[in-house]
Parts: sequence; C-alpha cells; structure tokens
Amino acid sequence: MCVVTTLVHLGAVFLHVAPPNPVSQRYSRQVDAWVYPFFEQNWRLFAPNPDSVNRRVWARTAHTQPDGSARVSPWTDLTALDRAAVEHDPFPSHSAQNLLRRAWSSYVDTHGADDTARSARAVMMQKYLGNIAAERVAGLRGGTFEFVQLRVVTAPVVAPGTAAGHRPPTPVENRLLPWWKVTPRGK
Amino acid sequence: MGNEQIRELPAAPTAPGGSGGGGGAWAPGAVHRLLLARTDAFWDFLTGRPVSLYATSVLRIGYGLLYLSFLLREFPHRDEIWGPGSPWTPSLAAQLFDQTGWYSFLILSDSRAYFELCYALALVTSTLFMLGWRTRVTSVVFATVVASFHARAIFMTDGGDNLLLLMAFYLALTACGRRWSLDARRARIKSARADGTPTTRARSHVPQDLRAARTTLATVVHNCGVFVIAAQVCFLYGSAGLYKVQGSFWDDGTALHYVLNLDLFQPWPALSHAMDRYPLAMAVVGYLTVLTQVAFPFVLFGRLKYPVLGVLLGMHVAIAVVLGLPLFSATMIVADAVFLPDRFYTFLPHLLRRSASRCNVPTPGQGAALGSVPQQCAHPDGREEYRPVSRPASGHAGPPPSGPTVAQ
Repeated sequence: MCVVTTLVHLGAVFLHVAPPNPVSQRYSRQVDAWVYPFFEQNWRLFAPNPDSVNRRVWARTAHTQPDGSARVSPWTDLTALDRAAVEHDPFPSHSAQNLLRRAWSSYVDTHGADDTARSARAVMMQKYLGNIAAERVAGLRGGTFEFVQLRVVTAPVVAPGTAAGHRPPTPVENRLLPWWKVTPRGK
Repeated sequence: MGNEQIRELPAAPTAPGGSGGGGGAWAPGAVHRLLLARTDAFWDFLTGRPVSLYATSVLRIGYGLLYLSFLLREFPHRDEIWGPGSPWTPSLAAQLFDQTGWYSFLILSDSRAYFELCYALALVTSTLFMLGWRTRVTSVVFATVVASFHARAIFMTDGGDNLLLLMAFYLALTACGRRWSLDARRARIKSARADGTPTTRARSHVPQDLRAARTTLATVVHNCGVFVIAAQVCFLYGSAGLYKVQGSFWDDGTALHYVLNLDLFQPWPALSHAMDRYPLAMAVVGYLTVLTQVAFPFVLFGRLKYPVLGVLLGMHVAIAVVLGLPLFSATMIVADAVFLPDRFYTFLPHLLRRSASRCNVPTPGQGAALGSVPQQCAHPDGREEYRPVSRPASGHAGPPPSGPTVAQ
C-alpha cells in the first residue's frame, strides 16, 4: 500500500511539474485532484526566462471633502520602499521582496491587460492590491482618504552590451489603473 | 498488508534491465525464481531497517531551524504577513480556502491575541522539532503549523517556502527523530539504565507482535518517505533545468545579466554590478547552472554526485548572498543533504575531533584542562571535510557503519 501510494504520488507530482505534454494533458484531472492543494509546486525559478523588466508601483489617494470636491494626493513610489528595505539587508523580509511584487503579478495573471475583474479571483486580487496600497500610503503619509489609484511603470533591463546612457528601444509600459474605493482610512 | 505488496511488486523487476543482462533464453522456472529472489531482496530492503536516519535528522534540524529563523526574521512584519492586519485579510483568505480546499488555523479568529498565540505556538513547535522532542507528534504539529502559515500568506511565498512546506509534510512520514535529537538522548539514557536491571520479557506474545508490526510499518513508511523526499528534490532540479532550457536568455548566456539587474534581488547593488561586468564568466556560470540542474537526477547513482552537490552548494550560497535570498537557498541546501549517506554523517564527528586534535584543540574526551587556551586552527580547511565523501570507502577511521543510501 505504502509503495503504491508512493509511486502514485511521485507519478502525479512528476506530471504536475513537467512541462505540459500529452500524458499530463490526458491525466490532468486526476493529477490535479491528487496534487492540489497541498502538493502544488512550481519550479520555474528564473525560467524559462528571468524577468527582464523592473516594475515600479506608484499609488495616490483621494479624499472627498465635505463640499463634494475631491482632494488628490501626490504619487508615492511604493516599490522604492521595498527597494530601500532590501538594500544592504542580508536577510530581506518577504514583506519587501514578495508582497507587492507577487500581488501585482497575481493581479496581472487574473486580469490580463485590462482592469475589469472577470472572475471572483480577480476581484479578490484587486481588493488585495488596493489594501496593500492603502496601508502603505497610510503608513507613510497618513491623511484621510477613501479612494486609491495605482500606476505601474515597467522599465526593461537594458540588454547586455548596450552602452550605458543609451535608452533601450523597448517601450516603457505605463499602466494607469482606475480609482478603487477602499475602506476609509485616517478617520 | 505485506502479502498484497509482495504480489504487486514483481512489476518492477520485469522492467527492462531488471532481469539482468540475459540472452533471453531463460527457462520459465529460472525467471520465476529470479523474480522471487528480487522481490524478497526488495522486501527485505524496504522493511529491514530505516535508511538514511542521519540524513532525515539533518533535514529535521535544518528545517526546524530555518522555520524558526524565518518566523523570528518576520517578527516585525508578522501581522502584515499572517496576522489579522494583513492586506490579505482573513476574509479574503477564507474565501480563497473555500475555492481551493486549503485550510489554516490562523483564520479561526480575527483577534490579535489569538494570532499572537498561534505565532508563539509556531515558534515553540519549530524549536521542539529542531531539537527532536517527541518527534513523531511534533513533526505532525510542525507540518500543520507550516501549512497553516504558508496558506495564510500564500501570495507572499516563494519557491523556498514551497519546498519547506513539502518537506514538512514528507518529514512527518519519516523517523527523523532517531539521531541527534532529544528523543535519541532519552532512549540512550533509558537503555543505559535498563542495562543494569535484568530485562523483563513481555508476558504475552500479543504486545510483542504488535510492536513488531508497528516497527515494520514505521520502517516501511519511513523508507517510502525518504524515497519521496529524494525524488522530490530530483523533480525540482530536473524541472527547473528543463524549463530553463526552453528560455532564450539561458540559451544565449545572458540570463544572469537580467537576474543581476532585478531591483528587488539586489541587496548589494555594487556587488551585482561588479559581477555584471564579466559577461563571459556569467555566461559560463549560467550554462553550468542549467547543466547541473538537468544532470542532477542522473548523477545521483555514482561518485559524481559529490562534485555536483558541491557545485549546487556554491550556487546556492551565491544566490543567498547576491540575490538576497538566504532562506530560499538554505532550504535548497538542506534538501540536498538528503543525498549524503549516513556513513558521511557518522564520520563527521570523528573528522571534526581529528582535525580539532591536530590543531591541539582539547576535546572533552582527552580530559584537557579547561583553563588552557586552545590554539586556533591556522587553516581551517573546508575541503578537508569533503574528503571522506569523495573517498567514502577508504576507511580512515575504521569501518563506518555502511548502509544503503537513498541513491544507491
């Protein structure tokens, strides 16, 4: 029994981690049933290609004033906080290296290129990202606000051999997200 | 249970190569006998004795220590990562668990006090697991703790956390508390005490049979667990390598340039930029990384595994320092330790003692005066420790208790 379980487990995990192939496609239902959720894994470490871009997430907030007009804050570079936290730290925290970075990549995974949430998971990721932004801004600047907006600037890593100072030909993506309502802060 | 297994097992030896390099003219009886012999040998190996007891203990100590360091490192951020104040709110986590079937005891209550209690429980569990106190129970609690904390912060995890979680599950199957643990110490003291008194035979056969069955079961589950751990590490490296092979940057040798220029993985920007100035060296290292990872599962059956493990160790240390991923790297290094045979671990203390005495460091066994200042070892030769590995059978210090290892 133990041996059979071992072999079944290893077979399922193998098909789960291997690049998609006819066998894993054919048995995907069984493999998923066995592997998820506890044995889920992904070893695409810097693969197939490492990221060749650096993303910077900016945030600003808005507060509706009693007279009905909106007061909008200046932009805050949230990624700069993470970078500052990582720099010269031999043991960087997950909250700096992974939190915002993975929240954004999960947002992109669930939303794609446009910002309409089309699934329950997408709504959740949007809430998560909004909470992160609201908390960071509130922690940094304080103030009262009910809305938050993100801007994500993607800059490519210059290809090797390119002379320093020359701008790379690849366009820089500048994605402005819609305003999101968040739990009011600072009250 | 045993009979079922024996009936199912002949499938393995009938695989090509399993029946030896015969010419195909085997009499049916001979084949049958051979299969039976193979099956018996396999069965004996499986149930005879637990393999790699030292290696699993090293994994237990390593992962207990790593999780403890992780929890302590994140102490200032604990609420943001796992607590009720996390941007991944308890209700979002609960909603996700409904979708995925995960579970975490951390979302049972939104109160801060409850969370602090869980955090303290996690600290204590990791410590006890590391020390090997009542390991069988502690290992299950440890796996539960790791799973709960992992699931609560699932969107903040990376590959290192993922591997640590899998290992926590697998280690609960193994007898990882039999060596270098408080359990082992207690057993030693107990047996020393029992030596003085005449052993009392069990009055009836039933408990003895039960105990034997329990031992066999524990051995089988342990051996299967060790095999799963080893295979898991092979899958990890194999798939990491296979995916890299598909990447154009790894192909053209520029991958490390991009890795070195990622803002969040640059704790020492000057170091990263300095390395980036040597594209040839980085291309070589990149190729070596891919080749080592793809080759990993295939080199485990020979001596070649030691240099490969050495290369991987160097790679992980570099990742830890240059990319600021010490936890990830250490998790991988500890996993690699499963491939070192028990005779390496039993030989280690011996070797340390010998190199200590060569440097005139008094060891407790020599009864040296405590007041004397030990002379420092002039050249603590790191490679020295590797010697018994590359020449395991050279018998420097008498016959080490040799045993089958995971890979052999």
